[in-house]
Amino acid sequence: MKKKHINAMEWSCAVASIFAFLCLWHLGVKGDLGRLMPGPGPVIRMFLETLFGGRIGSCTMAVHILYSLARVMAGYFLGAAAGVVLGLAMGWSRLVEAVFSPLFRIIRPIPPIAWIPISIIWIGLGEDAKIFLIFLASFCNVTLNAWSGAKSVDGDYLRAAQMLGAGKGQLLFTVVLPATVPSIFAGLQVALSSCWATVLAAEMVRSSEGLGWIIIAGMNNNDMVQIMTGILAIGFVGMLLSMIFRKVETRLCRWNKSDS
Amino acid sequence: MKNFWKKYKYLLISCASVAAVLLVWYLLIDVMKLTKNSVFPGVEKTFGTFVAKLAEKKPDGATLGQHLLESLKVCLLGYSIGAVLGIPLGVAMAWNKWCDWLVRPVFDLIRPVPGLAWTPMFILIFGIGVEAKAMVIFVNSFVACIVNTYTGIRQADELHMWVGDVFGASNWQKLTKIAIPTATPMIFTGLRTALGGSWMALVAAEMLAASKGLGFMIQQARYISRPDLVIVGMLMIGVVGLALDMILQKVETMVAKGMNAK
Amino acid sequence: MPVEQKRQLITCTNVTKSFKVPEGVHPVVRDFNLKAQENEFICLFGPGQCGKTTLINLIAGFELPDEGGILVGGKPVTGPGPERGVVFQNITLFPWLTVMGNVEYGLKMAGVPKKGRQRRAQRYIDLVGLQGFEHTYPVKLSGGMRQRVGIARAYCIEPQVMLMDEPFGALDAQTRYLMQEELQRIWQSEKRTVIFVTNNIEEAIYLADRIIVLSNCPATVKEEYVVGMPRPRKYTAPEFLSLRKEITDIVDKTL
Repeated sequence: MKKKHINAMEWSCAVASIFAFLCLWHLGVKGDLGRLMPGPGPVIRMFLETLFGGRIGSCTMAVHILYSLARVMAGYFLGAAAGVVLGLAMGWSRLVEAVFSPLFRIIRPIPPIAWIPISIIWIGLGEDAKIFLIFLASFCNVTLNAWSGAKSVDGDYLRAAQMLGAGKGQLLFTVVLPATVPSIFAGLQVALSSCWATVLAAEMVRSSEGLGWIIIAGMNNNDMVQIMTGILAIGFVGMLLSMIFRKVETRLCRWNKSDS
Repeated sequence: MKNFWKKYKYLLISCASVAAVLLVWYLLIDVMKLTKNSVFPGVEKTFGTFVAKLAEKKPDGATLGQHLLESLKVCLLGYSIGAVLGIPLGVAMAWNKWCDWLVRPVFDLIRPVPGLAWTPMFILIFGIGVEAKAMVIFVNSFVACIVNTYTGIRQADELHMWVGDVFGASNWQKLTKIAIPTATPMIFTGLRTALGGSWMALVAAEMLAASKGLGFMIQQARYISRPDLVIVGMLMIGVVGLALDMILQKVETMVAKGMNAK
Repeated sequence: MPVEQKRQLITCTNVTKSFKVPEGVHPVVRDFNLKAQENEFICLFGPGQCGKTTLINLIAGFELPDEGGILVGGKPVTGPGPERGVVFQNITLFPWLTVMGNVEYGLKMAGVPKKGRQRRAQRYIDLVGLQGFEHTYPVKLSGGMRQRVGIARAYCIEPQVMLMDEPFGALDAQTRYLMQEELQRIWQSEKRTVIFVTNNIEEAIYLADRIIVLSNCPATVKEEYVVGMPRPRKYTAPEFLSLRKEITDIVDKTL
């Protein structure tokens, strides 16, 4: 009973604070700032109007969102797959580690966004280049986590598996891989937000559709409403992505949580 | 000899691997001239550009060092304001439930937007000067610091809190003597994530709107098809990002040591 | 009734092992000799950190001796293998597998088809009394139940030898007594040669056919006792208590 009471309190606080935020915003733009910034009304209206009906540039908001998402997903999954393979291999074999770790250490600290100019020179900034950038963002994060995860697998698990007759390959797939899964997921989560930021940057630099294009086109047309509508959509999709991610993680890492 | 091989085997393989990549690069571009220097620069060309750019202002109006200083200045400015405001707010949100209930809903609205998505808006408001970029970086580091500080304080062990209660610690003492020290590693994780994110956002912001800085430099070099300069810039960005992270790591061990000594 | 033909299963001859530490070489086992027969339950009993675990690791093949040799079933030990099941002190179940997954793991590695291995795993799950928990993950089990899975897992590969390294060391006293009874019941229904390491003298007397008292580090055989009492034994029987006193005395003298 008491718990429920607190929850109701928390909910009303949340509603009150968001309402207060919108009010402040609304009142704030009444004065001088209004020339620069639109109020919440126009932004929300534009978001709802363009979502399926009206167009921004060449297509509706929903299609822009799909463009950005499609790019992210393609690069993200390719990068994750490559990262898991390389990371596990580096954690498993000292030879692979010795060969690839110095190269990886050179590549990793370069933010994927800094690859934009060179990839424009090499392959332009079409779809493949954008996917390449997102691939990099995902690959570096996942590799790093899979690598350190595979290196720190508890030796007792390996001993137990050897005692039960597992061969070398079996050890890799039945012990090292599952034991590394939580660490890989931590990497996948960082990778997802990094990919989301990267796709926006790539679209801002050169593109004719997508959420990054919406905000940069808004800037070029001096259209603040469009920029803020774009930001609203970006935040909304980002939140949705991390919610879906957490759902998948709890399913796949069930064994790791004692309370679920 | 055999012992030497055993001890340094993997180190030597690592060196060989880097050398092999450089050699292949050299053979393909410098010797066999598979592509033009304006598409894929050779080893010699890239290295030459690096040395020359240290002193030369062409083609973008500043030397490598000046670009670097400009970038560092903006990055550290926005970053430190974000950290100074973000950490206390994170602590307050984790410690006081009213603060949590009132601030967090609004914070949760802003959080999923990557810092660099604010760039166009800030450029329209502040122009392409330092302020717009500093604001982008501020948002980045502010959010990362709040998230990690909040989680860190929330992780404080209930048992330790009870110990505090038993010894009659006040709420303030429990916060400063128990919760914050417990949260320190997480706060540092936040600081490091924030720094990496800030550096990345800065490069993006500079590519969109700037007249100086490493991001501007590689974007300019791209316009005039100077891949050698782009690669020099990229490596520079990577090295500086790595150095910043390593410095923070050192600070973290020092702070952790200081706390243990107390 | 014909005399039961007892085969000698484990032979350790002059096993010596030391580890490199920063201060030099640290001898852990010296001139250790052991002969174990088929279906014999042997307890290695010794003080604190006297190298008991190292002995188990040597027989299991996780480590190789510096000198001397270990034969199991006539073959020298060169590495871990499924003819020697190990029950670990810290249990080390695979947390990502269910109880069934853990128990059938060894059979799966050996390529036994699904139906056969699940039937066999089920038999050992039943044997350790965990019916109904087949699809539970280890995090949800209590310490005693986890170690039951650990025993079932080692049993399921049907090894010639079971090596148990203080398997009940991490359990509370009550659970420990219960598990001792359980282990005895399991061993009596599925006879195996067992090498059981413990630092608890009552546990040793309760379980063992033969107790080997080890000296402090480096470990070597100090004394041997054959326990002839019929099973199940009573902790309060006069024979039990006098043997306990005898062994306690000899250990006290060395410390």
